[in-house]
Amino acid sequence: MIQAKPYEFMVTYTPQREWIEKGGIKLWLAFFFIELGAGMFFIASLFDNLTAMSVGWFLCAVLGGGLHLLYLGKPLRFWRMMISSGWKTSWISRGLFFVVFFLVLGLVHLVLLGQGIRSIGLIAAANAFAFLTVIYGGFAMNYVNGIPLWNTALLPILCVVSGLWGGAEVTMGIVAGSGAASTVGPAIEEWIRILLVGFILLIPVYLLSVRYTSSAGQVSVRSIVSSKWAFLFWVVVVVAGMILPIAAVIGTLAAGPTGLSLTFLYAAILAGLVGDLAMRYLVLKCGVYSPLIPSGT
Amino acid sequence: MRWGMLINLVKCVGCYSCVVKCEQEHFLPPGVLWGRVLISETGTYPVATKHVYPVLCNHCKEAKCVDACPTRATQKRDDGIVWVDADKCVGCRYCLMACPYQVRTYYSEEKEYYPGQGSTEFEKLGKQLYPHELGTVSKCNFCMERVDEGMKRGLKPGVDREATPACVITCPAKARYFGDLDDPNSEVSLLIRRWRPTSLRPEFGTDPSVYYVIG
Repeated sequence: MIQAKPYEFMVTYTPQREWIEKGGIKLWLAFFFIELGAGMFFIASLFDNLTAMSVGWFLCAVLGGGLHLLYLGKPLRFWRMMISSGWKTSWISRGLFFVVFFLVLGLVHLVLLGQGIRSIGLIAAANAFAFLTVIYGGFAMNYVNGIPLWNTALLPILCVVSGLWGGAEVTMGIVAGSGAASTVGPAIEEWIRILLVGFILLIPVYLLSVRYTSSAGQVSVRSIVSSKWAFLFWVVVVVAGMILPIAAVIGTLAAGPTGLSLTFLYAAILAGLVGDLAMRYLVLKCGVYSPLIPSGT
Repeated sequence: MRWGMLINLVKCVGCYSCVVKCEQEHFLPPGVLWGRVLISETGTYPVATKHVYPVLCNHCKEAKCVDACPTRATQKRDDGIVWVDADKCVGCRYCLMACPYQVRTYYSEEKEYYPGQGSTEFEKLGKQLYPHELGTVSKCNFCMERVDEGMKRGLKPGVDREATPACVITCPAKARYFGDLDDPNSEVSLLIRRWRPTSLRPEFGTDPSVYYVIG
């Protein structure tokens, strides 16, 4: 494990680095694209939007799955995660199963839908695995009890809300771009409103709950909101990721789904996605382990 | 049977010989550490205390890393030793995240102990005898090769040097004890009853097999 000061390793609050620094950046992006893609497929399937579903499937399979594989030290051995009994206890193994089942069922559904065939059973199964794909990353991190910032039941919920919200936003962008905003736009907008409110409420609840769990939790939260990462949190996560999307929601409420300029809508969607990505970065970057031995920190 | 270790911090002088011996015994490449010595201070002058903790894998009874491993590369043997089968490891590093003690190392890049001068004869020998695979995670295995080989020869781990982990026999202060925690008559069990040691961060619920006697 890399560290700035080797003599401080596990003597002071030690940040995790393997899942965010150097090659770990790939994992951060992989989780984002996997959850965004699966969330997008889930939302778009509710409106039978083939384009948005296909884009979601692509994001999940190619960017999410590809980056996940590239992150592994031995990517050609990934199949071992499926043939071992690891799924009984390991969230990474379970996650691979969820992603593979989602991608296979989703692809079959997309092909059939392209030919005008709609199977309720198939889409229900694909969506169930899409949902599990969105949530498994949260459970994988929640399992790590050495990092209080991750070891909270709110993290899987946050993953679901942000994954579906991001998915709904991109779906809205595709729908608006294709000129179909007047038909399905209001319904997608409803989803965006609910998920955005959920995201905005969850972030402070999540940070406050972690803040009071332990001293390591306090250190993590402090480093997010008031230390060197404060700019990223307040400007990118809060202003860009929350306030701009709220402005877009208020705009559509006032002017209707077609009344908002496409440029502003796309800017708000992009800002929301960047805010979500930044929040995920902070959760990975600011996760710290407690010192193992008595220390003056 | 459950192998365990007791480290008497009153005796430990913080000389790092356990760390160095471990590196030598397992031909560990640069950057890969199976054992460490953590040193901290509490209080302020004139009432300051220095804490020296040699740490290694705790071979937990409820090992988080074993459950986290998606390929079952990390396994727990019947005798309690937790080890990594490098041939099965995919390098996802989930075990490394899951270990609250951070005693695992990911072998990310090949380095030389003497940069620019190539490998020493000892390193070349190590690559043949004890190869370490790039892109995998490794950790202390309680010198299971020594333990297994010794037991085959009828020796008793913790008593006979040839069957005892290298860090235990190399400790110049005799601060380390190794033995069967399930055997009430083993030296390590007797000392645990007498000294009432503690384990690192018991609140994690991992039930470590490494105990510390704090002065």
